[in-house]
Amino acid sequence: MKEKRITDKFEVTDVAVSMKNVNLYYGAFQALKNINMDVAKGEITAFIGPSGCGKSTLLKCINRMNDLVEGCRIEGTFEIGGRNIYGAGVDLQTLRRNVGMVFQKPNPFPVSVYDNITYGPRLYGIRDKATLSAIVEDSLKRAAMWDELKDRLDKSALALSGGQQQRLCIARALSVQPQILLMDEPTSALDPISTGKIEELCAELKEKVTIIIVTHNMQQAARISDKTGFFLLGELIEYASTEKIFSNPEKEQTERYITGRFG
Amino acid sequence: MKQGFNLSKIKEGVAKAVFALAACFAVLSVAAIIGYLLYAGIPAFRETGVGNFLFSTTWAPGYDGPASEKFGILPMIVGSTIATGGALLIGGTLGVAVAVFIVYFCPAKFKMPLVQTVSVLAGIPSVIYGYFGLKQIVPALAAISPNGNGTGVLAVSLVLGIMILPTVASLTKDALEAVPAAYYEGALALGLTKEQSVFKVLVPSAKSGISTALGLGIGRAVGETMAVIMVAGNTVQFPKGLFDGFMTLTGNIVMDMSYASGVHRSALVATGFVLLLFILVLNGILYAVKGKGRKERRKFRFSIKNAGDKGASKVGNALAGFYNRCADGAAEIAQKVKMTALKATDKISCATNAAVTAVLGKGTDKEGKPIYKKAGGGYIVLKVLCAVGTLIMVASVAYLIGFIVVKGTQAFIETGFVNFMFGKGGAGKNSLAPAFVSTGALIGISLAISLPIGVCAAIYLVEYAKSGSRIVKVIRLFTDTLSGIPSIVFGLFGVIVFNDALGLGYSLLSGGLTLSVMILPTVVRAVEESLLNVPLSYREASYALGAGKIHTIGKIVLPCALKGILTATVLSVGRIVSESAALLLTAGSVKNMPRGITSPGSSFAVMMYMYASEGLYMNEAYATALVLIVIVIAINAVIFAIGPKKEKKIERKKNNG
Repeated sequence: MKEKRITDKFEVTDVAVSMKNVNLYYGAFQALKNINMDVAKGEITAFIGPSGCGKSTLLKCINRMNDLVEGCRIEGTFEIGGRNIYGAGVDLQTLRRNVGMVFQKPNPFPVSVYDNITYGPRLYGIRDKATLSAIVEDSLKRAAMWDELKDRLDKSALALSGGQQQRLCIARALSVQPQILLMDEPTSALDPISTGKIEELCAELKEKVTIIIVTHNMQQAARISDKTGFFLLGELIEYASTEKIFSNPEKEQTERYITGRFG
Repeated sequence: MKQGFNLSKIKEGVAKAVFALAACFAVLSVAAIIGYLLYAGIPAFRETGVGNFLFSTTWAPGYDGPASEKFGILPMIVGSTIATGGALLIGGTLGVAVAVFIVYFCPAKFKMPLVQTVSVLAGIPSVIYGYFGLKQIVPALAAISPNGNGTGVLAVSLVLGIMILPTVASLTKDALEAVPAAYYEGALALGLTKEQSVFKVLVPSAKSGISTALGLGIGRAVGETMAVIMVAGNTVQFPKGLFDGFMTLTGNIVMDMSYASGVHRSALVATGFVLLLFILVLNGILYAVKGKGRKERRKFRFSIKNAGDKGASKVGNALAGFYNRCADGAAEIAQKVKMTALKATDKISCATNAAVTAVLGKGTDKEGKPIYKKAGGGYIVLKVLCAVGTLIMVASVAYLIGFIVVKGTQAFIETGFVNFMFGKGGAGKNSLAPAFVSTGALIGISLAISLPIGVCAAIYLVEYAKSGSRIVKVIRLFTDTLSGIPSIVFGLFGVIVFNDALGLGYSLLSGGLTLSVMILPTVVRAVEESLLNVPLSYREASYALGAGKIHTIGKIVLPCALKGILTATVLSVGRIVSESAALLLTAGSVKNMPRGITSPGSSFAVMMYMYASEGLYMNEAYATALVLIVIVIAINAVIFAIGPKKEKKIERKKNNG
């Protein structure tokens, strides 16, 4: 990690991600309609909205996971560090190293805890045992689970509880030192206690990593995020500080949603 | 950095091309088999005329010079048809009965043992069936036969019947298990008994699956060679009774091929071509039947979707604005749910209506009101018959294995176990040592070729091709076709291409190459299935860390699918070990120790056939049979041990809004 550092092409500036005029289509269906938003560095930004509103779709654009979806067409620009990530000559590896992702359901690989965390670093050419071990320790510490797992590094990751698995996935994402971490409803499959731990973790991580979190849980967004964007049927209805969204939203739709009248 | 990027892109491209090429291999193989058989059969067709060849009744290879040669295969066509019909009557009925019993009536603790019995039955080499028929069924039949002849139509029907039973049973079982549980509940809710629900609602709903099972049973029966020639009597004539000898298409090929030349040889290849055509047509029909079922299901799914979308768009057009767009989404969901429910209940009510009428009768009283009679217990009889069918199967397996084990053990005691298994052999002394070496070499050669190709093909189908795209359908169709081709046809293909055209002659290499084409579909399918079982979320996690496709496949997907690859290997070994017809034609039938992969050699199954057919070495034949049975049972045990535990099907290509 010290000797083999890959030159970061996406050096995050004060605006971590800048999205302009984003339209996205799945075949003939338009899933995102003219989205414009800037995500600030060092903050937690939450995307909220009812099912099918496009929030997860937008999130997956930021590390280009939508490339995997057949028939998906994206217009507009996503700039990270001043570069359009959909532009020519962008290396997906470098992009995804800088923009990590945690999924809805914990998805550790069916190997040991250690191998889960070293998968990323090995991919980037780190072979030295000592360096790898240091990365494992560092990542697990940052994910606040070093004490729980330090004696079980060679145990299968599948033997962990759901909450532990999800935090392991966060540690795995941190192992390649991303500047931005995308979280796609990371707690929707977890119990309240595990959820609490992950929320705490997010608050600790945000100093070094810009976090964008998609959540169904409005209380979660209110608790942990600095800014909140409210999406509805593919449109960004309102985007402001979390405090404002939840206390004094500008748009009627936002108010209806946060007061639980639909969704 | 730039360079690295290009390099990885090139690597990905090359890998994709390699996988795609491997995937095309099945298509190429089928094309090559058809092409070469036709090509090598043309002289016979030209000499005899296609009509004459198919419909004349005299088969007389040139005993008195080429002028008197006559090649008419009508007796063989009739023979194959009769054998298949008899087998279907016995094996088809029993197979369906066994499946119904296993799925619906079997006490839970007997279920796994029965399923295992079926798969052991499927794995037993055809030479053993043939030998069992020759030694047990034929003498028993001779005792009751009016002409004192045990071989012939009845013997073949019985032996082939037992052989196709596992094919029919296991596929029927799959079809029955796929019938939605709601049908059963619906039937019960109308007051049908369990037996009535099973025979009036559930079994009829699995009709297309059962006909596919029977179709594949027909394919197996038509293509069977070694077992048939041991009990058919092999006289070229139209059989007039159950105890008359006859000849099948496959028997004709394998019996003459070793010495035929010129037009005679071409006529044998042409016979193989006719057999191949029959199998291709059969596969075509099965594919159409299956496709129809699939299409209907798809249509059903589409109609739900369209109905939902349409409803949604109407609402959306009529009322603009936010509320309505919300309502829109809700309506779509509601509509979908409703449609699904409606369709499902529709299907159930159709099925149950039929059931009710069938069970309760259509009788009405004087005022025209229906009379509801208490349902009769006739279906109990059917249930008992299913149980009896299962008992017959279990008894047959027990008898067959018991017979081989007892006789084989005796034989080993008489010949001396160590001597016979590992002795030096040669000059009047028999030994299985050459068979160990030959079988090992054949396994090695064919796995070395078809495992890499099969794994790459499966990777292409699962990881690269769009699911449901035309290319996947074509490749899958050809893979299925390849797996349905009888081994004797592979044997002919091997003779024409590897023995003759490539000049390999009778050799282990030629046999191994032939086998590798033969086992390819087994490998592709087993690996494909295990790749599909690797959760999509593993791949996503890997991509999200920046890994490329080939890295993800190599480091995550393949290691997870290792079990499947292992299963494919073991299944292939089973297929190779029990194969005889194709090897007899390509690798020869010598008893000597092979000197290398270019020298001929006999596997266990071929060796056993030689011992059995020469009539001099019954002990050796029994002992070899015992070795084969032990291998088959061991293979089944291994597959059972590593086999996929019932995992939930993971939905692929799912995307979250």
